[in-house]
Amino acid sequence: MKRRDFIKAAIAAGVTLTFPGNTGMIFSSLEAAEKVDIAVARGVSPAGITKAAIDGLGGIKRFISKGDIVVVKPNIGWDRMPEYAATTNPEVVSTVVRLCYEAGAKQVKVFDRTVVDPRRCYKQSGIADAASAVGGIVSFVDDRKFREVKLPGVALKSWPFYTEAMEADKVINIPIAKTHGLSTLTLGMKNWMGIMGGSRGRIHQKMDGSLVDVAMFIKPTLIILDAVRILTANGPQGGSLSDVKQLNTVIAGTDQVAVDAYGATLFGLKGADLGYVIAGHKAGLGTMDLSKLKIKRIAA
Amino acid sequence: MTKKIRIATQGLFLLIFLWLFLQTESKGANELGYPVKIFLDADPLIFITTILSSREWYQTFYLAILVIVATVFLGRVFCGWICPLGTLNNAVGSIKKRRLKTSTVNWYRFKYYVLIFLSVSSLFSLQLTGIVDPISLLIRSFSLAVYPLVSYATSATFDAFYNANIPFLVNVSEFIYSILKKIFLPFQQPFYLQSAFVGFLFLLILGLNLVERRFWCKYLCPLGGLLGILSRYAFLRRSVSEDCNDCGACARACQGSATPDREERWKNTECIYCMDCDDLCPRNAVHFGFLRNQPVAGMDLGKRRVIGSILTGLIAVPLMRITPLARAGVSDPKLIRPPGSLEEKEFLRRCVKCGECMKVCITNGLQPTLLEAGLEGIWSPVLVPRIGYCEYRCTLCGQVCPTGAIKKLELPEKNKVKIGLAMIDKGRCLPHAHATPCIVCEEVCPTPTKAIWFEQVRAKNREGKEQLLKLPRVDLELCIGCGLCEAKCPVLGQPAIYVTSVGESRSRDNQLLLP
Repeated sequence: MKRRDFIKAAIAAGVTLTFPGNTGMIFSSLEAAEKVDIAVARGVSPAGITKAAIDGLGGIKRFISKGDIVVVKPNIGWDRMPEYAATTNPEVVSTVVRLCYEAGAKQVKVFDRTVVDPRRCYKQSGIADAASAVGGIVSFVDDRKFREVKLPGVALKSWPFYTEAMEADKVINIPIAKTHGLSTLTLGMKNWMGIMGGSRGRIHQKMDGSLVDVAMFIKPTLIILDAVRILTANGPQGGSLSDVKQLNTVIAGTDQVAVDAYGATLFGLKGADLGYVIAGHKAGLGTMDLSKLKIKRIAA
Repeated sequence: MTKKIRIATQGLFLLIFLWLFLQTESKGANELGYPVKIFLDADPLIFITTILSSREWYQTFYLAILVIVATVFLGRVFCGWICPLGTLNNAVGSIKKRRLKTSTVNWYRFKYYVLIFLSVSSLFSLQLTGIVDPISLLIRSFSLAVYPLVSYATSATFDAFYNANIPFLVNVSEFIYSILKKIFLPFQQPFYLQSAFVGFLFLLILGLNLVERRFWCKYLCPLGGLLGILSRYAFLRRSVSEDCNDCGACARACQGSATPDREERWKNTECIYCMDCDDLCPRNAVHFGFLRNQPVAGMDLGKRRVIGSILTGLIAVPLMRITPLARAGVSDPKLIRPPGSLEEKEFLRRCVKCGECMKVCITNGLQPTLLEAGLEGIWSPVLVPRIGYCEYRCTLCGQVCPTGAIKKLELPEKNKVKIGLAMIDKGRCLPHAHATPCIVCEEVCPTPTKAIWFEQVRAKNREGKEQLLKLPRVDLELCIGCGLCEAKCPVLGQPAIYVTSVGESRSRDNQLLLP
């Protein structure tokens, strides 16, 4: 992808975000006239609450148009089974894939650059099977498909990113809420590490700034934070069921900072406890002040 | 006609061998689903020498017993019809131009001396069979050299098309590439230490077929020697009718060293039952059948040479063992054995260096040793965390080990096995030495309660500005030595955290902590 194309794409993505009142939105419902920033759905069915949370924002058609090539980016980083809450809930992922197709998406791609062996991560997390069952195009990351991108960032000047994520019409981030040694929690913004190439370990040296730089660049259409189960200790890999808390919650939003700030509250923290949330807020990526946001709570 | 059937059979077994070889790779589950080590299980030489050296019985080798029984009745049909290395030798040898003269050298006895050497040394607990056993050698050569080579060459070709990015052409090449990936390419390019060395030896063995067809099978193969001895009184024998006019065509065609041109001098122990002599005899005078009373040539190995081989086998045992490596604390600290490996002495008595564990290792971390484990342990598996770590929930290496040198572990057991301990090099660690935040080792640490924890300190930087730092520490009780921290440590070159074998569960002496 040439830089000019990237800018074009970035502008296009920006437009969809700035003017969410495209046709899908207008027809979707009148009750959504009041703009919802974050939708929080609770209930026993991961599929049900995922749909409910998206509906709370105005429905999938607000985000996905006919013919779109969509990238759905879950966290598949570890060789852990779903109940260990180290990877995104497979049912949440498959629901999003299914909804995208229902909204007319042409292709829905699912991938992640895993930390440990990808074959095991894809299989053991249950995500590969769940996503392919509903037609998702599940692929392993191909090392040849990373392209160096110049970032107008403060911490990162340039970094290789996965072209399939950059070239997609729409990108949906589906992280899982977990603890993490340095960033305290890993939520939405940190999930972008899964489309970063190169030696990612180094970004921990300037973690907060790097995460904001990357999040500014990606600009997802939608963020769906999986909190069906959250990992409260020994994250991000976990491995003990006693560290897992069942919250039966899915959070959806379009503001990356706001979603992460809300995610912090699941762990009894506030957005201001997370360095990258503060940095994102300051950089104008979004707002961390939950009191200024319209949060819709849904029981599903 | 017989020749065609034989070639088809050889091809079939070679295909089965190659297919099982390709299946020796994880697809994400912790089971492979196929009996990938079945050729090793069917190898009587590995079976017998492993029993001798380990003094244990192996039930998985029932196929080897089948091969033994079949050889006792039918002769060396395994060599001529089944052995995949024999088939490859056969194929390469067919390139060689036929000369009118029969074999120039006649060292067919040599393989028996190799066999005697290996048997005697294994009786005294030194297991060197795997180095020259044909099945072990073939799997090792394929795993460490041939397959990585093929994969590299294929990927490089398709990468060239991909990078050239010529419209349409790139679509075609990528389509073909995706099919090849599904059929036979590995999930990721494998890299092995010594792949060139192992590959060269394999090339040499194949190349010897140009000196003489089936050079390896006739003169060197100890499994051929074992099967030769077993076939001494086999029922399937060869007879020559009075139509024979001593034309010598059979002698030139013979794939063994069976001297078929003289009926009474036909060596049934050297015949691999390729039956080419039957096929091409111009007068149709050759006949194979169950002829119990048909006379065969005696097997004269020479007393002195047999005694010489026995003595060499005896001497090899102490010679290989007079190395300081066996002393606690002297052994190579980087000799990290795969999880489930037996105590080192017991391990070396069983490991046949087949390379199955290295082939199946999902991170490519299992590598062949050179001299880290002594000459005795050459090509045995060692984990090199900088290349690949040991995956926490994977037990594949123990599943494919043919001799139990690596025990097959259940997951809960595997998760407790320590293969070494990680230690931090405070002089290189970013937070410790350079007041720079980094938590990668802790982040990736896979134990349910992380073995790496943080000590929070306030440290001053050059400008005197105080900052909060998290210094990683290793909990030696919890660390299992998997090496994931070392593999992912961003301090490249010499990592700031690394694993050595001290603390490995399998050893009584190589310990650090009080029990």
